[in-house]
Amino acid sequence: MPLVNNKVGDDCTVGTDKVLVDGKALVDSLIKVVACYRHLASCVGGCTDSLQLRDELRQTREKAQKLSVSICQHLTSHLRDKSLPEEQRKEMELLWVAFSSSLELLHIDMCKVFNMGDIFSPANTAALVQTGLQGGGSEVAARALSLPDLNEAQTPTPADGLESQERNTMEKEISQIDHMIDDMEMKVNVLRWMVEPHGPQYADPLSSTDSASLALLSVDEEQPGHQPLCQRSRIFVLLLLFAVVLLAATLSVCVVFFS
Amino acid sequence: MTIRTARPDRGQHFRPRIHCIKKLEAIVVEMQDLKSGVKGSEQKLNVTKIPHVITGQDIITWIASKMKIETEEAHVFGTMLVAYGYIYPLQNHKKLVMCNDTSLYRFQVKLNTCFLIPAYTIYLAKRNIRKKGMLEPYEQVHYNHLHEWLNHKWDFIVMQATEQYKAGKERMKPDCVVFDCQERAYWIVNRPPRRTHSAMDCGPERLIDPSADENIFYQQAIMRSKVKSSVSLGALVKYVTNYKNHDAFLAPCLPSNPWQTDNDAYWTLNMRRVDVPTKMRVERWSFSLFELLTDLRGRDDFKIFLKKEFSGENLAFWEAAEELKWGTASSMSTKAETIFKTFLAPGAPRWINIDGRTMGLTVKGLDHPHRYVLEAAQTHVFLLMKKDTFFRYLKSPVYKDIQKKALNPEPHNFSPAQLEQNALTRSLGIHPIILWQQEEEEKAKAAAASAPVDVKAMMSKIDRKK
Repeated sequence: MPLVNNKVGDDCTVGTDKVLVDGKALVDSLIKVVACYRHLASCVGGCTDSLQLRDELRQTREKAQKLSVSICQHLTSHLRDKSLPEEQRKEMELLWVAFSSSLELLHIDMCKVFNMGDIFSPANTAALVQTGLQGGGSEVAARALSLPDLNEAQTPTPADGLESQERNTMEKEISQIDHMIDDMEMKVNVLRWMVEPHGPQYADPLSSTDSASLALLSVDEEQPGHQPLCQRSRIFVLLLLFAVVLLAATLSVCVVFFS
Repeated sequence: MTIRTARPDRGQHFRPRIHCIKKLEAIVVEMQDLKSGVKGSEQKLNVTKIPHVITGQDIITWIASKMKIETEEAHVFGTMLVAYGYIYPLQNHKKLVMCNDTSLYRFQVKLNTCFLIPAYTIYLAKRNIRKKGMLEPYEQVHYNHLHEWLNHKWDFIVMQATEQYKAGKERMKPDCVVFDCQERAYWIVNRPPRRTHSAMDCGPERLIDPSADENIFYQQAIMRSKVKSSVSLGALVKYVTNYKNHDAFLAPCLPSNPWQTDNDAYWTLNMRRVDVPTKMRVERWSFSLFELLTDLRGRDDFKIFLKKEFSGENLAFWEAAEELKWGTASSMSTKAETIFKTFLAPGAPRWINIDGRTMGLTVKGLDHPHRYVLEAAQTHVFLLMKKDTFFRYLKSPVYKDIQKKALNPEPHNFSPAQLEQNALTRSLGIHPIILWQQEEEEKAKAAAASAPVDVKAMMSKIDRKK
């Protein structure tokens, strides 16, 4: 059987396609990590704040940093390459805009966690706000780090100097992101008004495999006046159904009896 | 749009009530105390229970007992807590008020940080996903507007919203609910729908506008009369063409620049009371009435002309007004009196002809005279002179005479040796006191000459002659 070589494409377009695909994958994963970081950051200060949460935050942050550094290098080197064809350049610019927006969001979340860490310390559990959250962010962190399950066994030991060290590291990381943002603006000139997005205006409503939580929330959003009415109407419907079933049963018994 | 929008807390660029926020926070912390705070309970939602829920009644009673105030005041205080976002209502979430009944509330971590516009957009996109496209009308409006405005980021926003939604689903069900309620409450406080009051008070519909000064500044800037650059540049060109020969930096001054050659002929020729002025000086008088009047030698000439025309009262009034403006404060009231008697009173000896409205205003102002009381009248008189008398002056024999008589000194041509000689023989010039004495003499002479003629003395003189 003769070997069929299907990859007849031009070498350089294949190369840049791969570059685009790589870039897109990296940016997608950064967006995922930033989203998870945001979820974790919202727990800070609440009643589920703990050393474990802080540890998870740190891990997620480090992963985000690594990803952003690699994306920065990747995109900068390719966007400064003058020989890039036009459509590839447009795609790259889209990725660039997505990357810079993710960095902004990450920066905000990091600053928020930094400031909250000032005010709320996980050691002082009495001062935490009772927000009604029960679970920690372990599942979210696991999603961020793409690990199937975080190792529950590693409970971080609270060391005295750890908190201040943590804050120093955090400050350094925040300034690192600052510098990265500045550098990016200096090195590559992306005209934001020229960038055209591909996607739809409305995000697709995901097929609800999760109707239970939707139901919970939709109940929550209803006006309070409706609630007793709902319950009343539900009871009424149930009674009606019961009555119909009873009627059907008696009718069938009669039919059987008389036939 | 720069990336720096994320950096230091620039959002909420006014923080009107930060000291009150600190006090609020202290109270909220006390409220949460497990032993002495407000008693929490659980919220039952279908099949799950969510802890840390408090009723409005409990909150209000606790506040009233803690702060020792009436129930109505506690009610208002509770509403303030909700408006700021420390507590959020679980039912009736759009109205940020506290109700004194069994409606439920929960605490949340209050962030005093800025809220980015993309963050709001992502929240709306997530809500859109959750409610399957059924956003509230005001949210829909915001969403469409943001779609136009942040169009270049739209891919990112949609992707981020989906990712956040998916990440949220990883949590336990009740936590999902709590998180969503929290987020919704946060955005209702920070981007309130219409007719919902919020303590943040931002946006175009805010009640208190501490940057009212800014607003006034911009309004005034809009109302200022603007000149087209073609017009203003034309005026500039005309000015430069007129004055370029008179500028000592751009053209050589005749006979020679005293600073360069140490020969002060230029200054002596251009003194205040010289008989024959230089040609350059006379030419300068023809540029505008302002130049003529500011140069005192020119003013004298103009006075001579006006005497011939018997219309000297305008200039006299103008001079008197200048004296009032620049004079001492103590002499102001007396000067104002004399000016009124001489120029403005009906039937005054040197009555000036200004329009009725200005006259009325000036006379009224003279009741309480201040430095600029004659400003309107002075401007009117100046304009009269400029439009009428000035041009007649330029065409008059007086001016033409003086033009002919004016000196045109030869430019000096000093050799270096002579320059050195000049430097050694620099004169001290005339002593200022002597100049001042001369001025006083001249003023006295002028006052005597222009004093209103004393009829009786005249008559007696004539009689004596007889």
